[in-house]
Amino acid sequence: MPTRRILVNGVRVVVQEFHASDVVAVQLWVGVGARDEASSELGLAHYLEHMLFKGTVTRAPGFVEREVEGVGGRINAGTSLDYTYYHTVLPAPRAIPAVEMLADMSVNSTLSEKTLDLEKRVVLEEMRLGEDNPRRRLSRQLYELLFDGHPYGRPVIGTSELIQVLTRETLVGFYRRHYVPESFVLVVVGPIIASEVLAAAERTLGRLPRSGLKRLPLSAPDAGRSARLEIERPGTQAYLGMAWLGPKLDHADTPVVDLLVSILGQSRSSRLPQMLRERLGLVSSVSTAYSALEAAGAVTVTAQLEPANLARAEAQILRELQRVRERGVTDAELRRAVTAAEARYAFSTETAEGRAYAFGRAETVWRLEEELAYVDRLRSVTPAQIRSAARRYLDPERYARLAFVPPAR
Amino acid sequence: MLASLAALVAAAGTAVAQPPSVTRHVLPNGMAVVVRENPVAPVVTASLQVRAGSRFETAETAGITNFLVRTMIRGTARRSGTQVAETAEDIGGSLDASGEVESAEIRGEALARHWEELLGLIAEVALEPSLRGEEIERERRLVLSQIKTRAETPFSLSLDTLLRELYGSHPYAWHSLGLKSAVERLGRAQLAAHYRAVFRADRAVLAVSGQVSRERVVRAAERLFTKLPRSGAHEVGAAPPAAPSGERRVLERPAQQAQILAGYLGPGLNDPAYPAFRVLGAVLGAGTAGRLFAELREKRGLAYSLGALTPFRTGPSFLVTYLGTAPENSAAAEAGLLAELEKLRRAPVSDEELARAKAYLLGSFALDRRTNARQAWHLAFFEVIGVGWDFPERYARALEAVTTADVEAVAQRYLNRPSIVVLQPPPR
Repeated sequence: MPTRRILVNGVRVVVQEFHASDVVAVQLWVGVGARDEASSELGLAHYLEHMLFKGTVTRAPGFVEREVEGVGGRINAGTSLDYTYYHTVLPAPRAIPAVEMLADMSVNSTLSEKTLDLEKRVVLEEMRLGEDNPRRRLSRQLYELLFDGHPYGRPVIGTSELIQVLTRETLVGFYRRHYVPESFVLVVVGPIIASEVLAAAERTLGRLPRSGLKRLPLSAPDAGRSARLEIERPGTQAYLGMAWLGPKLDHADTPVVDLLVSILGQSRSSRLPQMLRERLGLVSSVSTAYSALEAAGAVTVTAQLEPANLARAEAQILRELQRVRERGVTDAELRRAVTAAEARYAFSTETAEGRAYAFGRAETVWRLEEELAYVDRLRSVTPAQIRSAARRYLDPERYARLAFVPPAR
Repeated sequence: MLASLAALVAAAGTAVAQPPSVTRHVLPNGMAVVVRENPVAPVVTASLQVRAGSRFETAETAGITNFLVRTMIRGTARRSGTQVAETAEDIGGSLDASGEVESAEIRGEALARHWEELLGLIAEVALEPSLRGEEIERERRLVLSQIKTRAETPFSLSLDTLLRELYGSHPYAWHSLGLKSAVERLGRAQLAAHYRAVFRADRAVLAVSGQVSRERVVRAAERLFTKLPRSGAHEVGAAPPAAPSGERRVLERPAQQAQILAGYLGPGLNDPAYPAFRVLGAVLGAGTAGRLFAELREKRGLAYSLGALTPFRTGPSFLVTYLGTAPENSAAAEAGLLAELEKLRRAPVSDEELARAKAYLLGSFALDRRTNARQAWHLAFFEVIGVGWDFPERYARALEAVTTADVEAVAQRYLNRPSIVVLQPPPR
């Protein structure tokens, strides 16, 4: 079991001694994501994530190389709708220096004018890369369609118009507002001594003044609406995405929908791959996903297929949903889905960073104790609950649908 | 390099799990079984690899190995493809297969308490595949769709084009998915003959990693794989020599980004020059201090994704450098990339740079071998290609011993006249 501690200024620290290897995972989670941006600030959370690697008041640019890569470690970061996180893996004796480095980055980054301008070009390249990747683009635009007008419908990476005119002043303002003790979760997992890590956290992150920030709760999106969009994209294959609103992370239905989505399309033997790919040969791949966000959830079905099969594939997906709504799922399917979740959890505990990720995410957008008890909650789900969740959430007549099709000749 | 565990234990004074132990055992029929007992998590993974793959194929059979093993997991004498998948999922796992360049793999994972069922399922698929006609056709359709996707994805299309430029008629020239023309034509008789040729005990290795007991795994493997025939009449033709074109090829495709790739052939993993060649690749492409990142991304903002690729190959390997950039920056990015390659030929790397590149490579290699799945893959892979499951330890020592003079020598020897591929959108 991990140790959880709240420092006097509100910084939360989660530590677990884990002796699987001599590698420690040190992660800083920040409760800020694309959903915290005003409409004039799109892309700022992500942009800031890039800029935190560019130097602090006391750490010259290149510190990542000197303090992390140069000792055989790795560092990277990610920005999502609900959070930003910075993750490192290092030789265990570097755990305390890594805590100090992340604490420094979190409040003392220089965000210099010169690097800010240069990084714009890099982020614009990242946008282009995303546009050339059909799966990534499909998922982004499907969210735009599903969450139309809601902050979850925004692109995390922002827009090129706003990035191009971004000023240091705007970025610094966003940084000062959101990178505050109340937003931080420090997670350390590895062959460390918990008390030493807690002491290091106290003398670094623990010294920061409280900001009084209360993150604004996000309102739920309007009830899902029907929307259909078809976009031409180079190539000869088509991509189909369908999306429904699902329960938010902190909802009694979350484990039920997790299992429903697993039974529908998250393994080789699940329903959609079996029917659409194996039996009917309508798609070359099809899968389902459920993203449980803080204020809402998204259930998506995505497929890659020949353009001629688009209409039939969509109709068949709806038929499969209808079948679950009417007849539910079998005991064997449910058992298999629970076992898959148990195995996923077991495999995620193999590495220090796998554990740290689960703890950090739960502590940032949910509750640690919920995460630790989640597999048990899955075990208590019944087939009847799955059927009623399918009825509640997967309306075959109201959903967002997006297709990429080859250009007309 | 990562700190030693012993030093850490002394400093921490706490209980530490025993480092996982690896053992190798040879079954009576000649098949090697490598087991790594790892108590960390209640899981098990297994990798059954055979010495086969695109390295041994011809233009007429390109893709046959991947096609075969993908079809093998689609049903046995006792179970349909769906039942195979369900059986694997019932034990908290999955079963998958792929033909790669140097080896072909059937891999599985499960909750540790089901380790014996997992091995049983892998043995069933390896020994009694049904290769039913309708399953062959289903898999053919999927493989052809994957080949098409590679050809429509800017980066993979560019890389595949560059490898053709580098290798000419050598089988390393094509991706292990194979060539469309070959995959369209391969029939059941050819797949069955290929199965009989390559699923042989003397060219197969089973590696198992997880919360298991070595003795019990070996006993089970002996029982399960005893029927795998010792050896067969398999001819492995010598591959024609690789012949890099040294040309610059331009592909026009609609895309937001231009792709620029430049590559060279290099030594195989058994060549004494191989570790220095990997260090050379790391000087260019390793992390934020790699020259490509530092120069082309940090200083000039020309790219988001860029890097250098060097694979493990028994025959000639390659070094491919790449970046994606806005079409209007394509010329500047290409010139910048080539200038970095030229610089490596002209001036030796500094001691500091050498140390950094080595630390990065050793770190990556260690970090990549921490999950059971990666461990099982590495153990089986190095064993089946003939350098032994313990190759990583020797390779790590060889990396540590590389000097700046070694790096200079490989730069002089291998970085001559790059083959180049540029993918860009058509002019408006």
